[in-house]
Amino acid sequence: MPSVSERSTKIAATVALTAFAAVALAFPELAPNPYILSVGIVVLNYAVLSTSWNFVGGFTGYISLGHGALAGLGAYGTGLLITKGGLPSFVALGVGAVLVAVVAIPIGYAALRVRGASFVIVSIALVLVTLLVFQSWASFTGGSRGLNVPRPFPGMLRPEHHRVFFYLFLALLALAALVWWLIDRSRFGLGLKAIREDEDKAETLGTPTFAYKLVVFVVSAFFTGLAGGLYALWFGDLDPIFQFSILTGSYMVLMALLGGVRNLFGPLVGALIVGSALEYFKVEFGNTPLHLVATGVLLALVVLFMPDGVLPALGALLRRLSPTTDTSIREVTAAELAATGGDRQHAESRNL
Amino acid sequence: MPSGALLFQSVILGLLLGGLYALLAAGLTLYFGIMRVVMIAHSAFLILAAYLAWWSHTELGIDPLLSMLVTVPLFFGCGVLLQRLLLARLRPVTLTMMSVLLTFAIAVVIEGLLGYVFSGTQRRIQLGYGSASLELFGARIAVVKLIAFGLAGVALAALYLVMKKTTFGWALRATIQHRDAAKLVGIDTDRVAGFGFGLGLATAAIGGTALSLDTTIYPSLHWHWIGPLMAIIVVGGLGSVPGAAAAAMVLGLAQSLLQIELGTTWAQTVFYLALFLTLAVRPQGFFGGRLAQRF
Repeated sequence: MPSVSERSTKIAATVALTAFAAVALAFPELAPNPYILSVGIVVLNYAVLSTSWNFVGGFTGYISLGHGALAGLGAYGTGLLITKGGLPSFVALGVGAVLVAVVAIPIGYAALRVRGASFVIVSIALVLVTLLVFQSWASFTGGSRGLNVPRPFPGMLRPEHHRVFFYLFLALLALAALVWWLIDRSRFGLGLKAIREDEDKAETLGTPTFAYKLVVFVVSAFFTGLAGGLYALWFGDLDPIFQFSILTGSYMVLMALLGGVRNLFGPLVGALIVGSALEYFKVEFGNTPLHLVATGVLLALVVLFMPDGVLPALGALLRRLSPTTDTSIREVTAAELAATGGDRQHAESRNL
Repeated sequence: MPSGALLFQSVILGLLLGGLYALLAAGLTLYFGIMRVVMIAHSAFLILAAYLAWWSHTELGIDPLLSMLVTVPLFFGCGVLLQRLLLARLRPVTLTMMSVLLTFAIAVVIEGLLGYVFSGTQRRIQLGYGSASLELFGARIAVVKLIAFGLAGVALAALYLVMKKTTFGWALRATIQHRDAAKLVGIDTDRVAGFGFGLGLATAAIGGTALSLDTTIYPSLHWHWIGPLMAIIVVGGLGSVPGAAAAAMVLGLAQSLLQIELGTTWAQTVFYLALFLTLAVRPQGFFGGRLAQRF
């Protein structure tokens, strides 16, 4: 039987989700001008990206700083398939994302055979090498001059174009969140979380850790590629500097971490906070190097003081306000478990 | 086919570059050995040291080499503080991942501050001996490159002597090999780990000064260094100083030779190619021991 605190958390989550869905669906009507609407699209794009990142980061605990490169590959893949391959826009989007997933297989194979440190190194190297290739191979990618992606709806006016893409991004976000939720409840998800908590033990107990990590990395790459491709169709102008930027990847990490990587909606909450802040910063301060400093300081603060994110902190607050104080063992890190393991065992044997 | 003299010159330049790579990779290896930390900010500190050398030369008019009198102790102190105040606070279970993010954040802050204070303009030190060069069997070697290599060589040798011959070096190596056992025999491992980080960051100060002698610097340059350096420590085997040095020499040489045919940008890809191949074929690296197999 769910306890009072669990129920109150659940009610709070449902209310918040319904409110978000209502506001999101009405946002194109509420937005006072096309600029605000385009900011909404950028924030949604961030939400999709960091939710996609969270397939790897949240379930397995492997932190990738290179997902920006996967988004860039999705964007360029889609753009090149339209301009050079002559495919219709949305077919190119699908094929592009599948190609990103295929590319992710050898990358994941090399990166995931050993533990975390090599994975991070490969993820950063991925951004640097893709930037190098896409800047230098100008005859194919357009190089630093950029790549123009034709619009999917040629006759459409700009506000209407924004409106359509807002809903497309929203649908993609819902799809990514749905898949994340399904994995979270599955046996596969349980195996992934076992890897996060203790990879050695998971392997000893028969979890095919390497295969699981690889599959979830490819799924993550697929959604990241879709988000990148959709961005290319919306924005229509690609530049390697921005597409293959280490900053894009770090924004994804920052958003997911700030919101809470163990929560389905953590990355969304993080994207709403960080994405809006980034856009505000851009308007107020322009393109000064200070946005780098702000990003770095915020990331350091989150890592040092709030590595579990905002949502778990809110949940803890709710639980403290409600009468009973029982906890579930399921979502506790190995470190916390080691620290409080003795007390909890006593409490549980008493409950039995 | 390039001429013999050009080939010879490339080999020399590759070895000189490899020396600098080896020194910087030694610093990265040190951090990894001590705490299993992949220190992304290492090359940002490298560029910071290069900026300080440039600034002291243009503003104060002193030789960039003398700036090391300030930057080396300063960076040593920064390294100790970084380890004791920031990295030691992270949870041990997620240390490897979270430390990457923390040092990444530091790198981004340094890049942003450099851009804010010195602007994004490309800077270069104009030295009296900047254009001097030596002729050796038809190859022209710039004197500043020899000085940079000499600095790297002396620093590496000093590091080697500290690690092998001093009590502190023994304590540091014991801490790297087995932290708990080191604690049991009475080593203050926290203190030693802090000093180890200081040593690592001091190599960045020396490397940065060497770099500033003949390189055009700009705030985002550190990304061009961290990629190759990380590739080097993986190819050499995470945690192995001799492995890192050997990989640095081989890859530096390969980069220099490939530049003849491919140009500077494409030649850089050799590092990433080596990284991917190493991880796919031999994930523990070519000189890695027990440590590398688990990371």
